Amino acid sequence: MRALPGLLGARAPMPRLLLLLQCLLAAARPSSADGSAPDSPFTSPPLREEMMANNFSLESRNISLNGSPSLIANKWEVILVSFERKKERRGTFNFKVPELHGKNKPLISYVGDSTVLTCKCQNCFPFKWTWYSSNGSVKVPVGVQMNKYVINGTYANETKLKIIQLLEEDGGSYWCHALFQLGESEEHIELVVLSYLVPLKPFLAIVAEVVLLVATILLCEKYTQKKKKHSDEGKEFEQIEQLKSDDSNGIENNVPRHRKNESLGQ
Amino acid sequence: MPPTPSAPPVHPPPDGGWGWIVVAAAFISIGFSYAFPKAVTVFFKEIQQIFHTTYSEIAWISSIMLAVMYAGGRIFESFLIFTSLRIQCSFTQSGSFLGPVSSVLVNKYGSRPVVIAGGLLCCLGMVLASFSSSVVQLYLTMGFITGLGLAFNLQPALTIIGKYFYRKRPMANGLAMAGSPVFLSSLAPFNQYLFNTFGWKGSFLILGSLLLNACVAGSLMRPLGPNQTTSKSKSKTGKTEDDSSPKKIKTKKSAWEKVNKYLDFSLFKHRGFLIYLSGNVIMFLGFFAPIIFLAPYAKDQGIDEYSAAFLLSVMAFVDMFARPSVGLIANSKYIRPRIQYFFSFAIMFNGVCHLLCPLAQDYTSLVLYAVFFGLGFGSVSSVLFETLMDLVGAPRFSSAVGLVTIVECGPVLLGPPLAGKLVDLTGEYKYMYMSCGAIVVAASVWLLIGNAINYRLLAKERKEENARQKTRESEPLSKSKYSEDVNVKVSNAQSVTSERETNI
Repeated sequence: MRALPGLLGARAPMPRLLLLLQCLLAAARPSSADGSAPDSPFTSPPLREEMMANNFSLESRNISLNGSPSLIANKWEVILVSFERKKERRGTFNFKVPELHGKNKPLISYVGDSTVLTCKCQNCFPFKWTWYSSNGSVKVPVGVQMNKYVINGTYANETKLKIIQLLEEDGGSYWCHALFQLGESEEHIELVVLSYLVPLKPFLAIVAEVVLLVATILLCEKYTQKKKKHSDEGKEFEQIEQLKSDDSNGIENNVPRHRKNESLGQ
Repeated sequence: MPPTPSAPPVHPPPDGGWGWIVVAAAFISIGFSYAFPKAVTVFFKEIQQIFHTTYSEIAWISSIMLAVMYAGGRIFESFLIFTSLRIQCSFTQSGSFLGPVSSVLVNKYGSRPVVIAGGLLCCLGMVLASFSSSVVQLYLTMGFITGLGLAFNLQPALTIIGKYFYRKRPMANGLAMAGSPVFLSSLAPFNQYLFNTFGWKGSFLILGSLLLNACVAGSLMRPLGPNQTTSKSKSKTGKTEDDSSPKKIKTKKSAWEKVNKYLDFSLFKHRGFLIYLSGNVIMFLGFFAPIIFLAPYAKDQGIDEYSAAFLLSVMAFVDMFARPSVGLIANSKYIRPRIQYFFSFAIMFNGVCHLLCPLAQDYTSLVLYAVFFGLGFGSVSSVLFETLMDLVGAPRFSSAVGLVTIVECGPVLLGPPLAGKLVDLTGEYKYMYMSCGAIVVAASVWLLIGNAINYRLLAKERKEENARQKTRESEPLSKSKYSEDVNVKVSNAQSVTSERETNI
């Protein structure tokens, strides 16, 4: 079973909605069909149609609804009752305004930049999109000032609000509003505008830390090298003294030393 | 380890002490080099959207041309992966093509100045990136400048480990390479936090300052100078000989030798190096694709986005612990002499993992696969550079790693897109996993055979060398007196040389 939205005049202040509820019966038995709106807000005239069918083939019955969108019920039920009123089949049509998808995370931008806020919905064709900005609870429609805001969308199911030359006051809540035949739906997008100083502070902090560490490490190294040089010079002096005494021993001592080297070298 | 007669005298590696601080510094440098490109690709989708909507559309032309190359169902996925790969590629490209530049600089100036310069370049690249207004500018600043800086971090870090360690080198390598998964698992969520708080511009600025910490790592990499006592005593006893030899060498230097001084191209005649290079080229064709496609594969099996991302975290976590542990194992007395075989087996383990991956249909088996994959990936990465050091020796390692990265650039860049194309053609991920597994197993078999032959030939050469030395030892004592004087004065050198022999 499905519901087909009908055509309607564009931009009529209170467009009339023509909905076609199509119900296909795959049963091979004669049956009667009832259309009723269990949740209808109004009482008369009851939108009921009784149809009798006697054939053994696929049946389809159409119910056309005429009324203003806001008065159309959200739920329609089709009840098929068998001839002897022994069996019943029900089908429900749920009408719902399509949901919009924005961004669940706030959009972060910087002063002087431009940013684009997007709103889209799947498989829907709203006939009007509007943008509102709100600071607090008051929603103000976003005026299309030529040098500040540009509203466009490449497809019918999405809209884009481009804001150029951002200032800090431009931050806050933005609402994208879609108007459908059945009703309207909206989505909230948060825009945060930061100044350049905000990331600059951690940047400078980390750079300062790096410079400090590098300086500390290099200074420590120079200090330990100086110390080592002093102690090495002392050791060197001792070794030179030893050399002088060794040299005086002569060649006899070289032979055992040579053999020791050989055994270690293997 | 084959002796390198043409190499300058190796200063004895301390194998401890300040060396462990150098390992920590290398940990930081390697962590930045490997983890940073991967961690940053996390926000590319959003950045591309931002650029697409707020700035010009011209930048998309080249990306669209590439996307058109991939026909088929997963066009958006492969496009996304490829464009994020392109920025990663520009990291890898500058890292690989300019790897030899880094090697040349390390050969000439040592590790410390190069790493500090690298840190400064990275910072500059990111700061410029935060002011960019198109995707092309982003590629240039973040891709090339920062990529170059990261290359200047990677090679010196690996080289200096070889200079500071010999006996405990596999352990040191394993510890240093563990930097990559640690940094990846901490940078990725940190990046997300930065992005949510400061937007992409602020994040790039702050990431630039973070990369400056590589300079801190560089300042810790104290150069190993020659021992003061050695130089002074040599100048006393061997002055005449030292003066005559440089003169001889200077007249003989040809253009080839001059080039060789900066970047050792004679490595291409080195048997072990060629085996390593060919094996690695084959391996890298199928090495990275499984990681990149793990999350899409999981999503394809019906697993939700967050659990699929969790698989990668599991892999990184296991990788973190696998690297130092495998380094410890590789350092053991039994494995160290046969480390090339160990490397081949680690690669084979990886290959077998990928071959068995298509059997994983549900979430628990995929988690198990991720654990084993992490183990395999960690063990290969841990000994990847250790085996190269083992083959060519520490003095030539710097040039070797530069040459290896530039040659490996090809398969590393080609592998994932080819794998993506295979997925598009066949429509299933399992064929891609099986082919990657087959390629990796083939690489391991090649390395196994090649290294078996190499070990045998090396043993033969060593026997011949020993026989030659024995005939030389019966020569007059005068020559040996000079050499023994030097040996006595060089502190601890003798004990170190004997240890080196036993470890082989």
